[in-house]
Amino acid sequence: MDEARLRALMLKGLAGDGAAHRMFLAEASSALRGYFRNRLRDAPDDAEDLVQETIIALHTRRGTYDSSYPVTAWFYAIARHRLIDHIRRRKRRGQSVPIEDAEDAALVQPVQEASDARRDVAALLDRLPEKQRTAIRLIKLEQKSVKEAAVITGWSESDLKVSTHRGLKSLAKLFRDEAPA
Amino acid sequence: MKTDDLIDLLSSDLEPEKPAGAKPWALAVGLGLLGAVVLMMVTLGPRPDLIPALPLMLAKMAISALLAAAALPLVMRLARPGRPLGLGAMIGAGLLVLGAVAAVIALTDLYFRVQTGAPIPKCLVFVPLYALPAAGLLTWIVRNMAPTRLMLAGAAIGAAAGGLGAVAYSVYCPIDRLHPVLAWYVLSIAICAGVGALVGPRALRW
Repeated sequence: MDEARLRALMLKGLAGDGAAHRMFLAEASSALRGYFRNRLRDAPDDAEDLVQETIIALHTRRGTYDSSYPVTAWFYAIARHRLIDHIRRRKRRGQSVPIEDAEDAALVQPVQEASDARRDVAALLDRLPEKQRTAIRLIKLEQKSVKEAAVITGWSESDLKVSTHRGLKSLAKLFRDEAPA
Repeated sequence: MKTDDLIDLLSSDLEPEKPAGAKPWALAVGLGLLGAVVLMMVTLGPRPDLIPALPLMLAKMAISALLAAAALPLVMRLARPGRPLGLGAMIGAGLLVLGAVAAVIALTDLYFRVQTGAPIPKCLVFVPLYALPAAGLLTWIVRNMAPTRLMLAGAAIGAAAGGLGAVAYSVYCPIDRLHPVLAWYVLSIAICAGVGALVGPRALRW
């Protein structure tokens, strides 16, 4: 895991460089996939769900990264937190819980081949409140600019930005709370 | 949705991240303190001999504010994922020892009060009550960041909010000897921290 390169991508992303942020999330997801598959050896289907859940968290909470610390420490702390939350949810549903036999996060190999997630973000998007869903659809999926989206919907630009931001947070919550298929 | 598509969705039309800075924390402390004072006014009210007792009241407020100020940097650190606590861990341990010592002193004081029929300090109940507005606001801020140690974060929020509650309580506090006041205040704030630790894992879940 190249801390220096990831850190540079993260900082560029924080400054608004979409391509750098995309690369950061892509590399993080490979690392996370290896990490979660390693810890959920008896439940590999859940690993991709956790990758997606953590990627959403890394994006919506990217403001919590403090550049005086390593970025890998930051995202592994979030990944571990999501894993513990996942295990607690499984326990509450009376499902099996993975055995505590895991390698050090730094030693696990990244995995680029994604499997299918069990939860479908597309379906969850449909469950968002209309304003949030529309904002995300126009700006994030259809790649319209905020200006264009404002003209289409008649809402203000700041209103759209707030709705997008809230929508992603709602998505994170739906993803977390929804039991897998 | 495939993970790759999700990444596309998240990174499209990216806005630069504006750091929130100290403003939300300052607001939480300011409004939390205001809330504490309002609660104090509508429940116990200021002590009737406030003007002659002013220096004593200010001393109690200073002690309480200091304790809140010690806890607040811990809250801010624990709002972000995984950073080592460092000096904060030592401060936390120090506060713990302080709390234990205070408990012993307070209990001996309680014993003597019961024996002599002196009034039982109300701070154990009212400081946590007055801490609620600050605790609520701090919880809201921290939950919107990315805490990964929820029990510790809850305890730190409890301690900081408890300190602010004690500042407000000082306007009422009728006890005039500083040494039992210190013990009772520290114990009350420790109770707030304890409640915060218990409630943290639920209240701070994100």
